[in-house]
Amino acid sequence: MANHHIPYALLHGMNVPTSFINQEGSAFDFGELEEAIVLQGAKANLLTGRTAATLEMFPSWPMRYQQTPGSSKSGGESTDSGSALNTISSKTENQFEPDSPISKKASSSYHQAFDQQNLQQQQQQQEMASDPSRTGTSLNQSAPIVKPLQEKKRASTSEKQLDAKTLRRLAQNREAAKKSRLRKKAYVQQLESSRIKLTQLEQELQRARSQGLLLGSSGGGVGNISSGAVICDMEYARWLEDDERHMSELRTGLHSNLSDTDLRLMVNTYLSHYDEIFRLKGMAAKFDVFHLLTGMWTSPAERCFLWMGGFRPSELIKILISQLDPLTEQQLMGICSLQHSSQQAEEALSQGLEQLQQSLIDTVAGGPAIDGMQQMAIALSKLANLEGFVRQADNLRQQTLHQLPRILTVRQAARCFLVIGEYYGRLRALSSLWASRPRGRLMSDEQPCQTTTELQMVQPSQSHFSHF
Amino acid sequence: MHCQTTGSWGSYMPTPRTSVGDPLERIERLASENAVVIFSISSCCMCHAIKRLFCGMGVNPTVYELDEDPRGKDMEKALVRLLGTSPPVPVVFIGGKLVGAMDRVMASHINGTLVPLLKQAGALWL
Repeated sequence: MANHHIPYALLHGMNVPTSFINQEGSAFDFGELEEAIVLQGAKANLLTGRTAATLEMFPSWPMRYQQTPGSSKSGGESTDSGSALNTISSKTENQFEPDSPISKKASSSYHQAFDQQNLQQQQQQQEMASDPSRTGTSLNQSAPIVKPLQEKKRASTSEKQLDAKTLRRLAQNREAAKKSRLRKKAYVQQLESSRIKLTQLEQELQRARSQGLLLGSSGGGVGNISSGAVICDMEYARWLEDDERHMSELRTGLHSNLSDTDLRLMVNTYLSHYDEIFRLKGMAAKFDVFHLLTGMWTSPAERCFLWMGGFRPSELIKILISQLDPLTEQQLMGICSLQHSSQQAEEALSQGLEQLQQSLIDTVAGGPAIDGMQQMAIALSKLANLEGFVRQADNLRQQTLHQLPRILTVRQAARCFLVIGEYYGRLRALSSLWASRPRGRLMSDEQPCQTTTELQMVQPSQSHFSHF
Repeated sequence: MHCQTTGSWGSYMPTPRTSVGDPLERIERLASENAVVIFSISSCCMCHAIKRLFCGMGVNPTVYELDEDPRGKDMEKALVRLLGTSPPVPVVFIGGKLVGAMDRVMASHINGTLVPLLKQAGALWL
């Protein structure tokens, strides 16, 4: 069988009565077009497999060769193409026979889905199989094809008569066209709603990023995160999971009255677990010190109280003192002394960092004698010192944590770590609640009530990030 | 002990290094002359932090700015060898004995060994 396709002229609507075009709103009903052609006995100079022609009409689709070897094809389907050339995809497939290379090459799963439906439909109409590939012609893959005119040519065009077969075929065409239209409509609707959803998701993402809820966003910048930061955040998330595990072990251990030896083992394990996060942070500081310093690896609430890339040890000790009674006199003295030393060290580091900042400001603000490149070079070398400060701050944090079991009993030390873990878990939960509170677009007075309701409903989770 | 500027040495014959003492010896000598000795570089911010730490504790350290010393470069190298790491500064000696760089100083402060050391060296009174 020869392939018969819509003549170029027809494709471009030159000879086709426009009444058949866009007949149903946005649907271009090829079925009816063909009908018209048949009825008119239009003589088609059929182009065979002119994908080029079809490409012209549907430029957005890749060229595929078409052919519709006919006999296996059931007759009678025409596809409509949407008026929108770019919604062609839906209609593509109607014609193709199962083993058509075209159908196999359907690029999208949507196409394939439609293919399936079409194929089934085609098989239902197998009776038309004797007709040479009526349904074969597709303009390019996506275009609904006007029926191959070959049959018409053979059967009717010469006679200009509508025999029963033709009538039946045309009726089936109409049916198929209708079904295709409906499918297309559904598909387009699906696309539209997906598009809307996508936009919404993007907006949410942007909003969440700007609030720093998402790790690995450079606060406000979209997708502006270094790979070092990404790894840091991933490792940190993993550490948090481990942390939860350790904490539940500690809790169980404390409640089940383990022996001091066993408890000490747990405490030491927990200390190693802390050592791990400081090691991670040390590496992260090499790759992306700003990520640590700005607290982008933590949740917003923790970030709010950030000191030099992490928690402030003296603050933590204050929390512990309030949670840890009863303490012996000696323990109390030890804890207070620890707090005091920590404060002094924090103060010293802060002053050192301040001096670094001032020096950096002086460089960047620039003096008259400094040329641009040199200025940048000096500034860069000063920035390199940031890593040292974050490292020292982490060192201070680590030392403070290690000191706790030395001045406290094992049970108290275990309780300390639990308190710390729970405290930061709550901060993370707070961040998440805060972020999901209803924004008063218009009404700010509604917020307090709703927030309270949320608080009642939501269980704090450990789903967010850091405290170290 | 204070550093002389290069200019004031200009009128002398260049002296062989050995007579001046090798840098490490000089370091140790300087370190033993005061209770708390800090080797520093004037532009170094971590050095500033360590100075603030001691001052905040009420200690009055003796500070040698190696960038202002003609033999500073050699001493820096010697300190790197001594510490086993770079940067060479800040480094702290208490009572003539090496305590270490910032991390060791802070660790000893947190674990409570720094203050007794200072008292022992006479740098801190109750």
